[in-house]
Amino acid sequence: MKKIFLLASALMFWLGCAKSEIQENYVPIPLEVEQPSNFPDIVYNLDNNLVTEAGFELGKRLFYDGKLSANGAIPCAFCHEQAFAFTHHGHTVSHGVNGGIGTRNAQPLQNLAYQSEFMWDGAASHLDFQPIIPLTSELEMGETLTNVIDKLSLDIYYQEQFKKAFEDGEINSENMLKALSQFMLMLVSSNSKYDKYVREEDNVMLTQIELDGFETFQNKCASCHATDLFTDQSYRNNGLSINPKLNDEGRYSIFENPNDKYKFKVPSLRNVEKSFPYMHDGRFATLEAVLNFYDSGLVNNGNVDPTLLRNDNTYGITLNEYEKESIIAFLKTLTDNEFLTDERFSEY
Amino acid sequence: MKIIKFTFALLLCATISSCSSDDDTENLTGKLGNIIIKFDNGVDDQDFIFGTSYNTSSGESYKLETLKYLISNIRIKDNNGDTFMYPSEKNVFIIDEADGNNAGEIWVTLNDIAAANYTEITFGIGIDQDRYALGADGQGDFLAKAEEEGMMWSWATGFRFTRLDGTYSSDTVTDEALNIHMGSVGTAVDNYREVTLSLPNMAIVREDKTPELHVKADIAKLFDGTTSVSFDEGYSQVHVDETTTGVIANNAMDMFMVHHVHND
Ligand code: HEC
Ligand code: HEC
Repeated sequence: MKKIFLLASALMFWLGCAKSEIQENYVPIPLEVEQPSNFPDIVYNLDNNLVTEAGFELGKRLFYDGKLSANGAIPCAFCHEQAFAFTHHGHTVSHGVNGGIGTRNAQPLQNLAYQSEFMWDGAASHLDFQPIIPLTSELEMGETLTNVIDKLSLDIYYQEQFKKAFEDGEINSENMLKALSQFMLMLVSSNSKYDKYVREEDNVMLTQIELDGFETFQNKCASCHATDLFTDQSYRNNGLSINPKLNDEGRYSIFENPNDKYKFKVPSLRNVEKSFPYMHDGRFATLEAVLNFYDSGLVNNGNVDPTLLRNDNTYGITLNEYEKESIIAFLKTLTDNEFLTDERFSEY
Repeated sequence: MKIIKFTFALLLCATISSCSSDDDTENLTGKLGNIIIKFDNGVDDQDFIFGTSYNTSSGESYKLETLKYLISNIRIKDNNGDTFMYPSEKNVFIIDEADGNNAGEIWVTLNDIAAANYTEITFGIGIDQDRYALGADGQGDFLAKAEEEGMMWSWATGFRFTRLDGTYSSDTVTDEALNIHMGSVGTAVDNYREVTLSLPNMAIVREDKTPELHVKADIAKLFDGTTSVSFDEGYSQVHVDETTTGVIANNAMDMFMVHHVHND
């Protein structure tokens, strides 16, 4: 008896609160984060952050909004442009608020749902938290979470949209980061010519030179650029010479483990035709330069990946001219124009 | 809102008193109260004061300008062996010496605790892997607060579990920078630790009784706990290194004791 009474009063209590707290505007329409059949499994826990239409829209608005930066002029999209697979087009290393120059080449934003660590050195180990780094970096957006939330709270669009996107309707750091994740999770690039070929869709075939390149790639590159994400998500040192101006030690900065010196996350090669310049510091402008590097440009910086050691005791991957040409032809089949022009992701 | 809460409380009282009249042992079912935990930082048998020099067993000395740590997952056990877990989404606190009252105490108030006689408290130092894996989920404003308080790294995603900033002096150096920013690094290095402390006397929580737990935190233990460390030998800058952060994390477990409980 008492239990029922308690329950009833608890219910009354809850209803009383519910009226004032749960927004009528919150009508979640779920969006599906794709699981392409040729991809590894999604690792992001979608149960904790249901992707909805309103949440995605909110995330997109945040991504394109200069309010997230100290001078109002540097949105995420400033360094992550859709047409270039969300990279900072034409910049070796990115620059942010007040002319601050970063030390690294902006990575493409694609297929993040299938990866567990982010950034060139893996400094971000949860997608929700990643944006805190650019937001608060003095070289990038130069803001604080508290200040950004204050700015958003004054904006009528956000007052409405947070209510539509989240049950509690709060404009706070939790919901802002969740919305950004929702937008980024939807950035799936899985419809390149290569994808259609391996999934046997629409009778898509590769040309002879593309097929030759694919074969050479599988023999010489796929040990690191593995799976259909084209990264095994490990950290490796591929023998780049050290730029003394930046002296970027890569993964070493995370654990200060000498074994991690100059290791960087193996990048995905999807849309690589569009995401130039290349490498963590953007030192190579073209794919030709990258392949010439693999063939003859590696230096022994003290910790080069052992798999890159050749029989003659030099480091590198021997490639003849046709192999280079055909690998490049193959890499271009990874360009996904549907993704690069998808209007769901564009600002306007 | 307030009125509703009040009505609810009234209803609750009415229900309980009407049903529990058949025996005269105190029936605590469904009754709630509060607990106050007072964190009181010290160094050995001295009070902690910013800018004051303290010695370590290895003959070095240090002065601090910042002293903060993260406490989470507080739960308390009563004399029947039942554990009350404070709701997870509210169960993370930044203990900042700068927030201390004139007595140097930082108060944490836990509301809506089941009325009981408590004998033991357990809490975590830092952020555990489960909470980290939630990402932003359930964290409300905590992330903004942690960032504002400098309890998040700026160069990587993660929390500082301890934040001690100041200087140290030894035989070889004077007023060198001292920064103890221990935390976990993703899933690779887990420095979350828990401590269980028995209460010297029971904490009696009732609707009208709010006990105060006086928790003493001996900062000296961070450097002279299970392992004694020397600033000169790798412990003046503790950030990510697996070994040094682990040693500080383990030492942090030795810091805390419940000195006494005030029941009113
Ligand atoms: C000033 C340029 C700049 C701005 C602004 C910027 N980024 Fe980035 N972004 C970068 C750079 C450079 C990297 C690579 C950083 C590194 O490895 O250290 C990166 C990496 C990332 C990654 C990791 C991708 C991967 O595959 O690991 C994500 C996710 C990301 N940014 C999201 C965002 C979001 C969201 C915002 C806005 C809140 C943002 N960025 C703002 C330059 C920028
Ligand atoms: C031992 C592992 C390994 C092998 C084998 C390897 N790579 Fe890489 N690759 C990497 C790493 C690590 C990077 C990033 C290095 C950096 O920026 O410091 C990289 C970067 C690249 C980039 C630049 C991508 C970008 O977005 O900046 C391209 C293109 C590339 N590799 C192509 C290839 C090709 C083609 C092959 C085969 C001929 C190959 N790689 C073999 C590890 C490897």
